[in-house]
Amino acid sequence: MLYSPHGRDQLVLLEQDFERLRPDIDVRWLDMGSQEILDRLRFERVNPQADVWFGGPATIFDRGIEDSLLIPYRPAWAERMGGSARSSYYYPVYRTPAVIAYNSRAVPQSAAPQDWDEVLDERWRDKVIIRDPMASGTMRAIWGLILVRSVQQTGDTARGMAWLRRLDGQTKTYTINPALLYEKLARQEGLVSLWDLQDILISQAKGLPLGYVFPRSGTVVIEDAIALVRGARHSEAARAFIDYVGSPKAQLLAAREVFRLPARTDLPVDSVPGWVAEVEREMVVAKMDWDMLSRQGPAWMSYWDQHVRGTGKR
Amino acid sequence: MTSVANRAAATGWVLLIFLAWLIAYPLVLVLIEGFRGSHGWTLEYVNLFLQRRNEAQALWGSLWISVVTVALAAVIGVPLAYLFWRYDFPGRRLLGGLVALPAVLPPLVGVIAFLFLYGESGFTSLLVQWLFRLEEPPWRLQGAAAILLVHAYSMYVYFYLFTRAGLASLDGAVFEAAASLGAGRWRTLRRVVFPLLYPALGGGALLTFMTSLASFSAPYIFGGGFRVMTTQIVATRLNGDDQLAMIETTSLTLLALVALWLLRGAREAENPAGGRKGVPPALVPVRSRWLRLALMLLGWVLALVLLLPHLTLLLVSFVPAGTWTTEPLPPAYTWRNYLTLIEDPVRARPLLNSLWLATAATVAAVGIALVAGILSVRRRVLGRTAIQGLLALPWAVPGTVFAIALATAFSVREPLAGRFILVGTLWLLPLAYLVRNLPITSRAVVAGLRALDPSLEEAAASLGAARWRTLRRVTLPLLRPALVAGSSLAFVTAFGDFVTSIMLYTYDTRPISLEILSSLRQSDVGVAAAYGVVLMAVSAAVFAVGADQGSAG
Repeated sequence: MLYSPHGRDQLVLLEQDFERLRPDIDVRWLDMGSQEILDRLRFERVNPQADVWFGGPATIFDRGIEDSLLIPYRPAWAERMGGSARSSYYYPVYRTPAVIAYNSRAVPQSAAPQDWDEVLDERWRDKVIIRDPMASGTMRAIWGLILVRSVQQTGDTARGMAWLRRLDGQTKTYTINPALLYEKLARQEGLVSLWDLQDILISQAKGLPLGYVFPRSGTVVIEDAIALVRGARHSEAARAFIDYVGSPKAQLLAAREVFRLPARTDLPVDSVPGWVAEVEREMVVAKMDWDMLSRQGPAWMSYWDQHVRGTGKR
Repeated sequence: MTSVANRAAATGWVLLIFLAWLIAYPLVLVLIEGFRGSHGWTLEYVNLFLQRRNEAQALWGSLWISVVTVALAAVIGVPLAYLFWRYDFPGRRLLGGLVALPAVLPPLVGVIAFLFLYGESGFTSLLVQWLFRLEEPPWRLQGAAAILLVHAYSMYVYFYLFTRAGLASLDGAVFEAAASLGAGRWRTLRRVVFPLLYPALGGGALLTFMTSLASFSAPYIFGGGFRVMTTQIVATRLNGDDQLAMIETTSLTLLALVALWLLRGAREAENPAGGRKGVPPALVPVRSRWLRLALMLLGWVLALVLLLPHLTLLLVSFVPAGTWTTEPLPPAYTWRNYLTLIEDPVRARPLLNSLWLATAATVAAVGIALVAGILSVRRRVLGRTAIQGLLALPWAVPGTVFAIALATAFSVREPLAGRFILVGTLWLLPLAYLVRNLPITSRAVVAGLRALDPSLEEAAASLGAARWRTLRRVTLPLLRPALVAGSSLAFVTAFGDFVTSIMLYTYDTRPISLEILSSLRQSDVGVAAAYGVVLMAVSAAVFAVGADQGSAG
């Protein structure tokens, strides 16, 4: 049993492929938000239903470790992944870069904001739609990037908060779920947003008129991880599945079909889909202090919610 | 004391303990978490709560939104009920049923229908924009006004249903008496009808207030920066401040309890008419041709406006993914979304799950409500106030909180403390639906019993009928309208439930609302809408059967 925030398409895809390789294992999954996974694992501590926690930003896995909901498992592919593992409990399988998204029917690629600061341009006043950052790992990571930068450059978060206040002034509305975000962007209620690459690519494939730009000064890349649940009843099968997800075959499958950017760095160049190569070329990755975000994040978000949200227009 | 009274008292105690265990105990277990820090008991989080300006804002927002919602819902629901009850015009029966439909707008996609309809890029605003040649959309569906719009739309039904039920039990002789004493139409309305309707209006007000206080989706989606407590709780939890979230929950629960206490008069009031005696007053036929036409037109326009969200949803369910963006009407149509539902057996299962879950929970809730109702209205056992209070409590607590409470209470194996492991089993979700249904069914049963003349049961007893026989042959048949009304509302509520389900469902009990969510996550708005339409159709059918049975009884 998997608990996963990945959508149905991806889960069905991997389930079927894995079951062909291991006919003796019946993969079942429930798709839900990362926060819900954490809540459920807590409740189910004495009667665990899940075997694998598949997906979500590393910061929320950290909270799972704090509550001792996970057990360490080092997958066969652990050292093939780019970056350094931050923990022995979970390992990244996909990379989810944040991007600047825009309505490609109303805004040509060259006119779209090319960097974070350009979103604050007068042109986009009241044209920006933001997914409610309290409820979104992606948005928390973007907020984190702005604030970590501010701390690194000036020693505190004041400059970052001021930036976010100006962004708040540009923001027309905070939407509560991604589905509404896409609808509002597609229907031109707003033209620009900050969101993650994979969801934009999927929406594009479904026919929504959305485009994306990698911010010039660098973007934050969320490491989307996988881990073994403490007390998993089908621990052997779970390990086999974790090993499978990081295998070149599954990484390429997810990249080709559902636009997941593989975390593996050793995939043969000629077998990765074109978009992956393009992304690798264009993407500038910003340096990010994840430990600082994990430590300070909740306090920052709480401050933002109380003192910044809704104050930018005054 | 007779042995009958003894047995009633004993049953009363058993019931009270059962309800306390099922409803109050989990809540207490969770709420005390807010007073526990890393070093034992603490008021740290209470202080934190009191210091933050936001928290007071959110609580105040919840309060005034709910009060205004009650007012708006009453202004729409009560006159509508009166209109359909007093006047006869073509289409009265059909319209009278259609008007109750907002109660079955499915979760999540229902809100999307609102967006397509009244949002700034929706038809209505495009139409207004075009009519008045405006450059900018005329409005934004956001903030307090938007929340109130959605609330008034979805909650006037409570006032409507309660008022109709109240009016239905009025005695026609009262009107004749008023008329013969020379009272005019307004005077009769003011001095006779309204006082008789107080219990019904109080019930409607209570239900509306509680639902509005616990309402989550409307403020969550349309609130923008507007703060209410329910959304605040979720934001706090998402931030990992679990203790503070519990204090927030406690504050909201206290607010609801105060309302429950203030409106207890409505619950306790005995029906002064002494039950359904005599005949209902004759419908006033509308004679003037123009007035008839005007009333009919008004009725149909009203029904159309009220059904627009449903129709929008139906339309969306035929739209291929990603094709409808800035056009006023969808450029393409397809059956694909419905085929997706049927073709894959895995995707059809949630429908069956929801059906059996909602049925089981409703049957159990009606049973408990019946026992509780008879014990507290007829036998007047000790502790009846506590029983009725416990039964009403789930209204006062947001669904999310109840889900967390149940999950926490039943995730530990301590049989002596009354805690068992139900998390991850089949049982937790139906149990949660049952708890959420209890206020609805118990209110219906109590109202039905109060309107029932006890002398009928006494007559049966004096004719030698045993108590079971009286119950089966006299009380239950007479209660049928109330039972049917209560259980259809309960079924529909459980069938479409989202907020409780999301925390508690398992692989085997995945309900239909989660399938809607899962489709929306993938931007399959069409498939989500198709599920929504199926949900709506089943709910409407249940309502129709309920209305039919209810009026036949």
